[in-house]
Amino acid sequence: MATECLTDKKVLMKGNYAIANAAVLAGCQCYFGYPITPQSEIGEFMSGKMQELGRAYVSAESELAAINMTIGAASTGVKAMSSSSSCAVALMQEALSYAASDQLPVVLVSVMRGGPGLGNIYPSQGDYFQATKGGGNGDYKLIVLAPSTVQECVDLTYKAFYLAHKYKNPTVLLADGLLGQMMEPVTFKPYPYEEIDNSSWALTGAKARDGRIIRSYAPLADDQCVYLEQLFNKYRQIEENETEWEERDTADADVVLVSFGSTSRNVNTAAKILRQKGVKVGTLRPITLFPFPSKRLQELSKTVKKFVVVEVNMGQMVNDVRLAVNGRVPVELVHKPVGTPPAPDVIVKKVEELI
Amino acid sequence: MEKDFILAGFGGQGVLLAGEVLANGFMIDNKNVTWYPSYGAEMRGGTVNCSVVMADEDVSAVLKSSADFIIVLNQASFDKFVSMVKKGGTIIVNTSLAIEKRIRDDINYVFYPITKMAEEKLQSIKMANILSLGILSKVSGLISLESLEKALENVIPIHRRNLIPKNIEALKLGYEYDLLKV
Repeated sequence: MATECLTDKKVLMKGNYAIANAAVLAGCQCYFGYPITPQSEIGEFMSGKMQELGRAYVSAESELAAINMTIGAASTGVKAMSSSSSCAVALMQEALSYAASDQLPVVLVSVMRGGPGLGNIYPSQGDYFQATKGGGNGDYKLIVLAPSTVQECVDLTYKAFYLAHKYKNPTVLLADGLLGQMMEPVTFKPYPYEEIDNSSWALTGAKARDGRIIRSYAPLADDQCVYLEQLFNKYRQIEENETEWEERDTADADVVLVSFGSTSRNVNTAAKILRQKGVKVGTLRPITLFPFPSKRLQELSKTVKKFVVVEVNMGQMVNDVRLAVNGRVPVELVHKPVGTPPAPDVIVKKVEELI
Repeated sequence: MEKDFILAGFGGQGVLLAGEVLANGFMIDNKNVTWYPSYGAEMRGGTVNCSVVMADEDVSAVLKSSADFIIVLNQASFDKFVSMVKKGGTIIVNTSLAIEKRIRDDINYVFYPITKMAEEKLQSIKMANILSLGILSKVSGLISLESLEKALENVIPIHRRNLIPKNIEALKLGYEYDLLKV
């Protein structure tokens, strides 16, 4: 698919192409990937565009290779990314733990499909835990951004590169098969963030300076204690500065519907219908899944009578909402195991049953 | 206002492309619009379809269980989607590849030999998809031929621009389907 990179004109584009185009505009210098549905268009686009621009594109021999190549590239300070989906992101977990420990600005696009195991290629939100809790070893956090429209796929891809470099932390753009495969009008504004100076740590060749080592190995327990405290100070800073969410009609709400990603589109419609029926309902959509808007949910739990979490999995984010609310009011779950989000009228019916 | 469309046919009949042209047309008209393809464990010779939603406000849901207008270019698609036409909605049926059968009395039918028409008037059965959009334009009154023509410019890649005039001809032919004898 041929695309003009930068345009103020609206173009109709698939989420996957929009993410890839945004990555190019964000200044991504290196892409490493291995194809998997439903995100293969990202690699397809990159295979042409990156060569055209004289940047690096590598079709890796496996997902393990792809993410480790991304680590290598990121360690030189350049903007580097990989993209994959569910069962293949599973293969990358070890490397993500290393990237978190090495404090490297790795950007990973994860377009969720059905699981566990090989699962299927339909949309899903079953990798909320995978992205926010991780499958790698040790104490670490990834920054996780969850778009709900194709335009947000663009805006949050920009943001993923910015936050990854600002905090030297691996960052995941968590989309799903629906967003990846659907088309919607979208505009591409120039990359809106400042460039982060990485000259103090990047491995750029030790000319006229001492050599540098990036490693995640701390043989002495005391050193590791200090290191982890520092790492978690950074995470607290990220929580303080970067927590982002969208909230609608919560001021007088008795019930707040909490959802993320593509599911929020249907939830917003359901909330409108419920309002028309006289139910005082509001919505809250976490845009950053880590950092999670726990504080805001805690505040809302003082005035709200009930939270209903809507997600396409067996109930994952609902646990984080319950932790934030801490038993103050009930937190219910409306879910669909896999596929496109539950229809607005289905959500309406289930919410009515719960209140 | 929100309107739902489904375009369905054999793989290769160009229904995904036709849906993309339709969605681009709505975008040109400054509507909110989404396009979503059927994808999954598809097989050769099976049906393929896409859903297009056009709305003045935010699109309420990308994928729905019914539609206002459904174009079916083959029998399998008719069988699969006729039950999904909303009451009072319209199904446009390609009678070159599907039989003329009214199995519900609460919907409108447009029966037309779209493939035959494309072959006879445009010398190519490949034009059936775009021809069907011309019919949709006339029948629905929701999208103008001008917007669809502009949409073709967005969708057809640069190295195939020579095909635009023929596609515009197909749109016009479809728009006049009820005036022509086939």
